[in-house]
Amino acid sequence: MFLQQLVNGLTIGGIYAMIAVGYTMIYGVIQLINFAHGEIYMLGAFFAITFISVLGLPFYAAFPLAMACCAVCGVLLDVIAYRPLRKSPRLAALITAIGMSIFLQNLAMVIWGSRPKPFPHGTLPVYFEKTAVSFGGVNLSWFHIFIYCLTIVMMVGLNLIIKKTRWGKAMRAVAQNKTMAALAGINVNRVISYTFLLAGALGGAAGIMTGAFYNKIEPTMGYIAGVKAFAAAVLGGIGSVPGAMLGGVVLGVAEAFGAGYLSSLYRDGISYAVMIAVIILIPAGLFGRVLKETKKSM
Amino acid sequence: MGKFVPANLTVGAKIRIGLLMFALVLPFFPFVTDYLLHIIILIYLYMILALGLNIVPGFNGLLDLGYVGFYGIGAYTSGLLTYHFGLSYWVIIPLAFINGAIWGILLGAPTLRLTGDYFAIVTFGFSELVVLFLTNEIWLTRGPLGLPGIDVVSIDLTLFGGPKWEFVGELPYYYLAIAMVLVTVFVMHRIQDSRLGRAWFAIRDDEVAAVSCGINLLAYKVIAFAISAAFGAVGGSFFARWVTFLSPDMFKFWESFLILCMIVLGGLGNIWGVMIGAVILVSMSEILREVLPVLGLPVEVRFLAFGLIMVLMMRYRPAGMMPIAAVAAQMRAGRKKRRRTKATVGMQK
Repeated sequence: MFLQQLVNGLTIGGIYAMIAVGYTMIYGVIQLINFAHGEIYMLGAFFAITFISVLGLPFYAAFPLAMACCAVCGVLLDVIAYRPLRKSPRLAALITAIGMSIFLQNLAMVIWGSRPKPFPHGTLPVYFEKTAVSFGGVNLSWFHIFIYCLTIVMMVGLNLIIKKTRWGKAMRAVAQNKTMAALAGINVNRVISYTFLLAGALGGAAGIMTGAFYNKIEPTMGYIAGVKAFAAAVLGGIGSVPGAMLGGVVLGVAEAFGAGYLSSLYRDGISYAVMIAVIILIPAGLFGRVLKETKKSM
Repeated sequence: MGKFVPANLTVGAKIRIGLLMFALVLPFFPFVTDYLLHIIILIYLYMILALGLNIVPGFNGLLDLGYVGFYGIGAYTSGLLTYHFGLSYWVIIPLAFINGAIWGILLGAPTLRLTGDYFAIVTFGFSELVVLFLTNEIWLTRGPLGLPGIDVVSIDLTLFGGPKWEFVGELPYYYLAIAMVLVTVFVMHRIQDSRLGRAWFAIRDDEVAAVSCGINLLAYKVIAFAISAAFGAVGGSFFARWVTFLSPDMFKFWESFLILCMIVLGGLGNIWGVMIGAVILVSMSEILREVLPVLGLPVEVRFLAFGLIMVLMMRYRPAGMMPIAAVAAQMRAGRKKRRRTKATVGMQK
């Protein structure tokens, strides 16, 4: 029981972490809660299912292709919706973000219908269902292992990009101070686009994995996952990438244990409660720097 | 006719009185069906809700995404008090108002220290928790089954030897809703022109300047949030007694979004604009409800249009259709600054 919950929690937590990283990176560079990020995640799953069922691609080909599409969607989202509002008050940008989220969700409903969809039968790799490891009454399927490995690879890759490349350096510079970064010759808008590209790809990957894990894809899936991932980003300290990773995993495990031992009815409530508690008690999160803005009001 | 209108009224006042007269006689026009009346009552209900929400983003410049939570609290306060104790609606209105305000203070006091983004997300989480509570606490709310058979509103004069008059059909609710809208508009106007309102506008326009003038930011924001929540709850109390059925699904996030859409469309902070926003969006929602099934699309798709409206408004008319000067200036400020810097750079060359 305990171990099974832990296994499930880590799986979901890894997925939350991948979405949360997107929130935190975007918040880092443009100080905007990108409410539409959950929608990118949902689109990822729908792109994958479309590539598989319409184009007949195998799962492993559809996966990176859908990720790429999500990355492009992320950039388009920024260019079309957020870039014109860069200098506007935050209220305007925030309302736009919510508007885009609702727009995309309903667009998906128009295109793919509002009923939950499964992956077409037999298109998921066969060994996903098979048990890989079995210990102490816990069955760890290959799919769990696939998700763990992919999460770890992507997180390590992302960290390397941020820490080691010129591109990552530019991102960190923009996050610290946009004006100074621009003075140092960084094309700020392009760096922001890169950030949306990375965030979109990771969000899309998370969406595909969730869709395949539950074998159920629906237009509203991005909404709750998005909020939970945001809660994870807040828990880790918004703006901090390692924080978002840890926050996602912690939240996933907390949710699995909460649902298992306390009340499965309040499964979603756990994330909201954690989020509200963290924001009120430690607004800087586990790893975050204390944001100037957080303290401004009082 | 002209004799009855005093000469010293302004054009605006004349228009308002005319509109009110029109609203009062509207149900007696032959083309007004029960369905249409129902929708007009819905418009009045959303006017109350939008005016209530307007206090927070419109008067204080804070984004509140959890307004529907208070609406739900009010509706269930009203529904449960009627269901279990058979209280009269006239007693329930103040109780719902107080209950809404209490929750507003409970949520606002610890969270209003936060800035816009964090505050928005906390209110969002709160409203989701309210829905979860309403869904899961079956012993109290009957959960997803909903709360049916709530009594209609009645005027009970039996205590004084008079008759008991129950509200049957839409007509009595129509006038009740008009009365509630009038009271709400009156209160909003009085608040807007009071010390309280001026303090809020100062906070909205510049927090630092407001503090330096001796305004206690937290206290004023909590008052704003509590009043806003209280009006949401009153709207909910009316809703419960009007449709006589409640279910947790009615209080999802979309409702908050819709109400927010109304005030953004009409003009943040503008009482008349907000009311017009309610008229437009409720009518549009009902028209789309009829049109979409014809096109073979699910009804939920109407939110596609609302999302698009929000994005386009923020892009092209961020202060709404009837902008308030201060909000419009704030929304323009960023763009102007950019233009000015470009100009100075050009001069230095």
